[in-house]
This record gives sequence, C-alpha cells and structure tokens, in this order.
Amino acid sequence: MGRSTFTAFYRSFTRHPLYALLNLLGLSFGIAVFIALSLLYRFETGYESWSSARQDTYAIGGQYFFPGMPNDVFIGSMGGLLDEMKIAYPHLEGTRDWGNAVTVHKGAEVYGEQIELVDGNFLSFFNIPLRHGDAKTALASPDSVVISEEKARKYFGTVDVLGRAITLSDEEGRKNYVVSAVMRDLPKNTDMKLDFMRLLTKQRMSEEANWHKWGSIQLVTYFKFADPAQAAALQKQFPAFIDRQVGDRFGDDIKGSKIMALHLVPLADAHLIDPKQKAAIVSLGLVGVVALVLALINYVNLATARAGLRAREVAVRKTLGAQPGALRLQFLGEAALTLLLAFLIGLSLVELSLPVINAVGGLNLKLDYVSEGAWVAGVLAVVMAAGLVAALYPAFALSAFKPAQVLASSRTPAGGRAGVRLREVLVIMQFATVVVAFVLMLGFMRQIDHMQKADLGFTREGLLIVNSTRYTAISEAQREAYVAAVRALPNVKRASIGNAIPGDQSSTSNSNIVRPGQTDSATGSPTVNWSVVGPDYFQLLGTKLVAGRLFNARYGGDQMWRTDAESREEGRVTNVIISRLTVKRMDYASPQAAIGQIARFANRQVRIVGVVEDMRFYHPTDAIQAKLYLFDAKPNNNPVAFVRYEGVSEPQMRAQLQQVWRRIAPDVPFEGVSATANLDKYYKPERDRSNLFSIGAGIAALIGCIGLYGMAAFNTSRRVREIGLRKVLGASRGKVVGLLIGQFLRPVVVASLLAIPLAWLALRHWLSQFDDAIAISPWFFVGAVAGALLIALGTVGGLALVSASVEPGKALRHE
Amino acid sequence: MIELKHVSRLYRSDEIETTALHDISLTIRRGEFVAIMGPSGCGKSTLLNTLGTIDRPTSGQYLFDGTDLAQLPETGLAKHRAKHLGFIFQSFNLVDDLTIYENIELGLLYREGRKGSRRQAIESAMDRVGIAHRARHFPHQLSGGQQQRAAIARAIVGEPDLILADEPTGNLDTENGAQVMDILRGLNAAGATIIMVTHSPSHADQATRRIDILDGQLVASVAQVL
Repeated sequence: MGRSTFTAFYRSFTRHPLYALLNLLGLSFGIAVFIALSLLYRFETGYESWSSARQDTYAIGGQYFFPGMPNDVFIGSMGGLLDEMKIAYPHLEGTRDWGNAVTVHKGAEVYGEQIELVDGNFLSFFNIPLRHGDAKTALASPDSVVISEEKARKYFGTVDVLGRAITLSDEEGRKNYVVSAVMRDLPKNTDMKLDFMRLLTKQRMSEEANWHKWGSIQLVTYFKFADPAQAAALQKQFPAFIDRQVGDRFGDDIKGSKIMALHLVPLADAHLIDPKQKAAIVSLGLVGVVALVLALINYVNLATARAGLRAREVAVRKTLGAQPGALRLQFLGEAALTLLLAFLIGLSLVELSLPVINAVGGLNLKLDYVSEGAWVAGVLAVVMAAGLVAALYPAFALSAFKPAQVLASSRTPAGGRAGVRLREVLVIMQFATVVVAFVLMLGFMRQIDHMQKADLGFTREGLLIVNSTRYTAISEAQREAYVAAVRALPNVKRASIGNAIPGDQSSTSNSNIVRPGQTDSATGSPTVNWSVVGPDYFQLLGTKLVAGRLFNARYGGDQMWRTDAESREEGRVTNVIISRLTVKRMDYASPQAAIGQIARFANRQVRIVGVVEDMRFYHPTDAIQAKLYLFDAKPNNNPVAFVRYEGVSEPQMRAQLQQVWRRIAPDVPFEGVSATANLDKYYKPERDRSNLFSIGAGIAALIGCIGLYGMAAFNTSRRVREIGLRKVLGASRGKVVGLLIGQFLRPVVVASLLAIPLAWLALRHWLSQFDDAIAISPWFFVGAVAGALLIALGTVGGLALVSASVEPGKALRHE
Repeated sequence: MIELKHVSRLYRSDEIETTALHDISLTIRRGEFVAIMGPSGCGKSTLLNTLGTIDRPTSGQYLFDGTDLAQLPETGLAKHRAKHLGFIFQSFNLVDDLTIYENIELGLLYREGRKGSRRQAIESAMDRVGIAHRARHFPHQLSGGQQQRAAIARAIVGEPDLILADEPTGNLDTENGAQVMDILRGLNAAGATIIMVTHSPSHADQATRRIDILDGQLVASVAQVL
C-alpha cells in the first residue's frame, strides 16, 4: 500500500466529507450488526466451551413416540441407564448429573438452591476448573460437597472455604457437609448449573423407585468417545439395546424401540437441540450477514457512483504511465483502509451498545480482546475478505477507463448504462431487504403480543404459584395448614394444590387411555398428559367447564387411588375430567357424549365425569396437549399451591404468602412465582429475539437509507445542469421536485413489489412453528411498504428540494 | 526520433465509421518544436493521442527511437509513457484531491529505474515554471495560468524525451498564454522535443516546424525560422 493510497484515503474525508461519511457510516453500522450478531451466534453455539471434554462428550437424548404427543429429542435419561449400558458395554466412559432442589441453612435463614448429585468421576470427566481442591478426591466421600466460587462468596463471604462445613437439606435429610473443592465460576453460556455438587451414592440410587424404569427421565447421562465413529457405531446399536432392556415392560408384543429412542447428542449441539431454537439463532446470525451484505452493497454503490468523479484522475494517472494493475491495487488499498476504519468504528459501536443489546435481547454478551483476540481477528478477516471482494468491482471498473475518451469528454462518465442499472439493482435489493425486514418485524411483534394476551383457557393474571410445597421436607399436614392459612388471608379468593402447573412441566406424566372395545396398545390408543389436582383447582384457575361437572370431594368416586394396590382393586372406577382435545382424540361425538363413559387409563378403570376447555400451559410453539385430570382431596405427589388473589399487588401478595410460609415451615425456603412470570420464560426468548431482529431491521433500514441518499446525491450532482435547463424551459420548482422524488422512489417501489411475496413466505414459515399463530394481515405489508416509502421520502425529499431550488443560470454553468 | 508510417485511425460504431487519421507519414527529430494546426475535428488531438500512445492506430507503424510501439502491449505502452513522455492538456487535468506538489509528483510516481531525489526533482520543476510558492495548494485554489504551469511542471519533472501539449494555451488569457509559450520555448531551447496542438497562429509561429492537418490528412509540413 503506497503513499498515494493513504493520501487518497485521507483526502476523501477532507475533500468529500459527505460521501466519505455516508460510506463509512453505512459500513460501520453493517459491520456493527454483523459483529454483534456473530457474538450472539458464537455465544449460543459455544455452550460448554469451558470444558476441554466438549469435543469428545455426548449427552444422552431421549425421544418418545406416543400418538398425538410431540416427539422432539430432549436431553435426559432414566437414572440407571449408565449402569445398564456399562454392563452391556463395559469399555464405555460415562458420568451422570442429577439436579435436585436443596435447602441451604445459614443461621436461621434458609435458601433454595440446586444441587447436582454426580458420579465420582464427574469433575475429572469434564475437567472442571477448580480453584481449590483436588478433582480426583473431592467427591470421594458422601459427606463432601463441591461449591462454586459464587456460592462460596454468598454463603461464606470468601472463596477460601476448603474444609469448612455447610448445612444442607434435601431428600436425604438435613446434614452437615464438608467443602472438598471450590470450582471456578463457569461462563454464562452453560446449561450445567454446577453450584453445588456431591456424590451420587449407590444407596441413593437404590432408594429411587424409578431408577431403572424405562421411559422415565431423571437426570443427564454423558459419555465420552475418542472418535466420533465409536459414537456412531454405538448409536446404531441403541434400538436393539432398548428392545433387550425393556423386554415386555411396555406391554406384550411392544418393542421398546417402537416407543422410545436414545440418541448420542454431541455436547456442542446439546444446547440448541430444539430445531426451532437452533433455527432462531441461525436466523439471527443470517440477519448479521444480511446487514454486512447491505453495507457492502452500499459501498459498491457509492464507490462505483464516485468512480465517475475519479475517472479524470484515473485517465491522468494512466497517461502518466500507471499500469491498470497498480491502479486496482491503489483502489483496493483505499477500500482496505476504509474497511479497517469502519471495522474499528463498528467494534466501538458494539462496545457502546452491548449493554442495550444485552438488555433488550436478554443476553450476556461481552467482547474480551485478551481471551478472544483470535475470534475478533477472525471476524475482522471475514469483514476484510468480504469487503475486498465487494471492492473488486469498483476497482476494476475504475481502472478500466480509457484515458483518451475520458480526457476528450467534458463530462465525467457515470459508468455507462450498465453501471447505472447495476446501482439501481443494488438499491432495489437493499430496499427489498428492508421491506421484508419490516414485514417480519410487524409480524413478530403482533404474534408476540398475541402470545402474551391470548386466551390460554385460564386466567393468568392474579394467580400466584407457591413452589415451596413441593419440598419433600414439607409434610402433608404442613401443606394443608398452609393452604388453609392462605385461604384466610383477606385478599385471597381461592387457594388450592395440584401439579397441573402453568409454565411447569416437571411433574406431569403421559399414559394411554383406551375406550372399551379398543385395542389396549401403547402405540394404537391416544396418549394423554395427566396431572393430579386438588379441590377447587378448576374454579381457581378459571377453567371453563364444557360438559358434565367439576371435581367435588363429596363424590367418593372422585378421589384417586393413594396406592398402586388400591388403584387395582376389583370394581374400582375412578372419576376423571378430560379436556376437550382428549374428547376428540378418544373419538367421542361430543363432550356431552363422553360424560359417564368408562375407559381404561394406565390400566385402571376410570369414568369421565367432566370435560373442561383446553388450557395452554407451555411453550407457544408446542401443541396443546390432550389432558386428563385426577382428583385428590389432599394431593401428595410434590404438588404446588395455587393462590387466586385480588385487590392487592403481586409483590404485596407474595410478601403475605411468604409471611404465612415462614410461620408454618421456617426450615424450607419460600418460592413464589406469578403465573405470568412462569409463562413468560416461554415468551421471553421469542420477545428477546424479536427485539434483536427489530434492531437489526432498523439498522438495515438505516443502511438502505444511507445508500439511497448517496445515490440520490450523486445523481442530482450529475443533473444540476439538466435541472437548470428544465427550469429555463419553464418547469416549476414543484414539478422538478416531483420529478426527482419520483425517480428516487422508483427503486423503493420496485423493491416493495419484489419484497411482498418474499416477506409473506418468510412470515408464514416463522408463524408455522406456533400452535396458536396469528393470521397474516395485509396491513403488515401496507405498513412495511408505507414505512419504507416514508423513510425513503424523508431521506431524499430535502435533497430534491435543494436541488430544484438552484438558480437556473448558476446551474447551467455547473461542471 | 519519431517516425509514423501510413498511420490511420478509424472509429467504428454500429452505424457510422469515421476516419480520424488517414495515411499519415511523419518524421520528427530530437530537439524539434512542432506545432500541429488545423480546424476543429480535423484529427489534431487524435494524432497527438496516437503519438502519446493513449490511442492506437488502426493501421500503420509508429516507430519511437526505432521501436515499433504499435506492437507493444498495454503494459509496455504505459511504461513507455512513464519513461519517455510528458503531457500538457488544454484543461490542465490536475487531480482535484491532490496538492500541486503531489500532482507534480505523479509525473515521477510510475517511472521505474529513476535515480536521484524525488523532492529535488519536483522542487526544481516547480522553480522552472515559477509555481513553488503554491506547492501546498489544491488546484481549485489556483488561477488557470498557475494550474497550467503546474501541469507543465508535472510534464517535465521526469525529464521526458518528448512533451506533448494539447492546446496548452486554449483555456488561458493572452498574458498567461504568452507565459506558457515562453516556458515551452525555454524547454525546447534546453533540448526538449515538443509537439503542440494549437489553434493560435501566433503560438504556432513560435515552433520550429508547423504541420497542417485537414480531414485527418497531413496537408503541409513547413520548417519555420524563428
């Protein structure tokens, strides 16, 4: 890169500041979006990068094939899978992580935390970074606990806590543990919540009833393979392994592999195992690429437009003996300097806006130049490479000018008709992208608003869920006492317990239900998701009764079995309530027709006494489940408490509930959450991504406007004489403004026409993932096109007005 | 030094074929100051561009010190221009974004194998045309006469064998035109070979030879006694 390159680069700012700024700003914004979204993409695809074992580790994924139920692959397995697999494949290296609720006692205070029960090799398996302690011996004793730096600070005020005691209560009771290691805090992009860890003992495994129950899910099992081919080979053997291990446990003549599958999911892919989530992250990554492409289009556009202004310089240089190759190098050098400066500005913009991006996107992104210097250099390399490829066209176009022709002409060349066409096509591409982005943005916002306000089949406002009643330390008497005390609070309308929880799938199960005369086959009959509810549950939620009646403790048949033996008593028929969708799945003509009908549910006799409206408890992309409700006057299967309140704010209500809780169960932490907050975890990622997308779309529009303005400014500067001539011939200022604006907006109109079908397809595709999706409104398109036109008009309107106001005499003398 | 043998230049478009130069044969010796005259559109500039190798003859031979330039590729012609030629244009053709110093430097930038200080050469060229005090200015800050003197400095800074001047006084008033002609005459007296296209008979009279062109053909070549 010679001195001429630096001089030309510097002079472009001092002599043509508008052009240089437009060029630089467009590039900088595009690069900033590219960097920010690359950062996001890297964050989301870099889960568990902290572990050196990431590359070789696989998590066990499960998959069920029940009719009418989702069959997505999820991470998790039954507890005893590792034991069974090690018998069949003794060479396997594996480990387990079983997350459990734990109460930490600190003086009289209690805190709810999560503890991981892990195999003894867990620390060395993942090469977990320890601040204090030895990975080999830290989990040797069942009385030891490994604690994170963060939790050490929280409970001890320091991280130097090796050998100190901490009191924990969990399923194994209240006990003192000795801190045997302190692990370093993991980065935010991890799904492994390793705050407390202790040994998963053989005794604990033997106490767990479902430890070897195929089809149950308790924990996460990991395996390590030196070679991916070994994992692939094992994967192939899974169906036969499942068939062997399951035997006839799923029913006579039902092969285990017909009901479920196991998958070895590379740890690197585990976080984005849900294809919808993965698609969302890939889409955001693509928005970053599109922003960069838009910015480069701008660059090409402005550079080729300006090429005409530099034609005389090129001609002079060529006349003085410059080789075309040397000129191309000079122009590429100028482009490289512009890109480098734009990259630095883009990087600064990202640094400045990261707090905002993190806030609106619900993220935790950061730029660390020391530990991630290679990544920043990689992004710079991508930007430079893409930019220089884009700069090839103007460099070649410029260096191809013929000196004799240029020097003979009094006008500066504009790159010919082909050049003008190309620039118009590029502007059309930019604005088409902007219109598509606007349509998607409007669609996203509308759908998210719909999700947050849609009728879910129950009233989500004024509903609090108290999770603390789930703790095993809580006795049935305490639960009853708590609910009774809560009912007595002045602002509480109703209180109940149960395990059909909006926003929480952790304590529901699936079983099949069979009408008399149907084949009792796990794969052939409808599967329902069932929950146990207490008195007043439906009234409390505000669930609509469709047919029959709701549960009532006065009806003896409503009470579900308390023991397995009880459930199978001769002649026992338990009353159940089903949802509207279950009526359909069971093929009843109407909800009314289902009332009083007998069916076999999980091999027990049940009678349908009521049909309630479907309720949407889970992710908006998940289909509503066919439900069956069992009634228990005193549910004891880890139920939560539901509280319907009015006339008081949520925090005030929660404070009252906490106060009552402390009185009844001071040793167990209080955990209360509103139904809206519980559901919000499903909406939040969609909302966050929509926010990020909107920012990206907004910046794309800004880049498009910069490009349009640059083009318009260039075209008007070339047409000053023409404008003067038109005015001499009698055109009014209004007419000239109209003419110019019409011409400037033409590419925007063409872009809109092109964008509408593309935007429709893209929006339809995105909405198709939602079970309850909005209809695509024509107003999205009208709004997007109107928005793009208004922005374009605002961009070029002033320019047209100024250009049309030039005195004709002056305009005619313009060169 | 220069020998054109039966040089013709045709311009073809889809419908029209224009003959800009027709069968021109011409010899120019080292140290000559040749003025080319003729009415507008007669082919003067085409002849000058051909001599300057920024236009190629359609047929015929162009020998420069015995080398047939018509046979050279584009890169060879560029090298030839950098090494042997200096250009002066009617509209100066200074690069707007470069200072006068940098514009003059362009005359050396592409010249390979040149020895000696670049700065000294530029300063010397500026001194010769009296523009040194304007070195840090941009072209638009100078008068037409000053711009043309800067352009002459650019043409002579590399001490070329041949200076080609296309109506160098065409955009200047009488006084500035006379100054430019004084400089050109001085350069010729110092040994430079100059070929100049002009419309001005008085300026043409200051050359050592006058060539008249009409409709692309050479109609007269007259040696002049100064």
